[in-house]
Amino acid sequence: MLPARDNPFAVHRVLRQRYRLDESGWAALLARLDAQGGRGAIVGPHGSGKTTLLEDLAPRLESRGWRVHVLRISAEERVIPQAFLRQMAPSLGARDALLIDGAEQPGLAAWWSLCLRARRAGALVATVHRPGRLPLLHCCVTSPELLRALVVALGETLGPAEAVALHARHRGNLREALRELYDAAAARGGITSSEAGV
Amino acid sequence: MSDASGEQLAVFLSGNRAAFAPGERIEVAVLWALARAPGTIDVRLFWTTRGKGTEDVELVEQARIDATAVAGEERRTFTLPEAPWSFSGKLISLVWGVEVVVASTGRAERCEFVVAPGAEEIRLHEFTTRPAGPG
Repeated sequence: MLPARDNPFAVHRVLRQRYRLDESGWAALLARLDAQGGRGAIVGPHGSGKTTLLEDLAPRLESRGWRVHVLRISAEERVIPQAFLRQMAPSLGARDALLIDGAEQPGLAAWWSLCLRARRAGALVATVHRPGRLPLLHCCVTSPELLRALVVALGETLGPAEAVALHARHRGNLREALRELYDAAAARGGITSSEAGV
Repeated sequence: MSDASGEQLAVFLSGNRAAFAPGERIEVAVLWALARAPGTIDVRLFWTTRGKGTEDVELVEQARIDATAVAGEERRTFTLPEAPWSFSGKLISLVWGVEVVVASTGRAERCEFVVAPGAEEIRLHEFTTRPAGPG
């Protein structure tokens, strides 16, 4: 049996992989955010890297002098935390950047209420599945090539045809594709290439 | 460990052991050689889950080192609790570890180890796949 801790597709390993955006891509994204008055949506379907991109955006904003606040709205609760509405929102100012993960979760009225309360924040960036709630900042798109690159970065291999089939089977959701590879590795068992020192 | 600039931060367990019994005392050696005195180094005893699902992490105990020199070595001791034990299955593992973190920079190093009776990780599949005996 391959212990879960040694599975090459274990979540702690997958989470080390960051959003694939080169320096010119980051420069363009930050310039777009400036041009849009600090407002922007990171748009993409499930498992396309929206949250990862949002997480990677935070230190880049901090290095530019922003005070970054992160608000996560879970699919289970779908409500804006009261602590945010009562305490954080009134204190936001021109150098505060509010990053919201899961902005499609609250209803439209709750979303506009949140925007109203956060209007003094210098930057507001949110992840959403569809465009509309904020001006588009970045569209997250996956591909079989990206899936293969992630698998290679995790120390494993995936053939081109396999990557195409896996990507299609999960409709571009890389998180689910990597979960399938986790199950396959667990079923295969044995020693992984990393354990063997290859 | 050493980075490209030659700076070093490392953590070792007593006797370089990788497995302990619950309730044992462990000694943690922290070594550093950095460009600037780190000021404060936190030493954290924790356990975490690994596998298919979201990681669960619990900080069990924390000690602090006042590191006013650019290089040095300090030791801290922890008494391991009676539970949880280290285990592994196909879907989840529970792993114990000690992490050292330079408070001012966030630079961190960790080492992981087993905490279980007999100092041996519990393998879940051994209980779930063993063929049934007679009767």
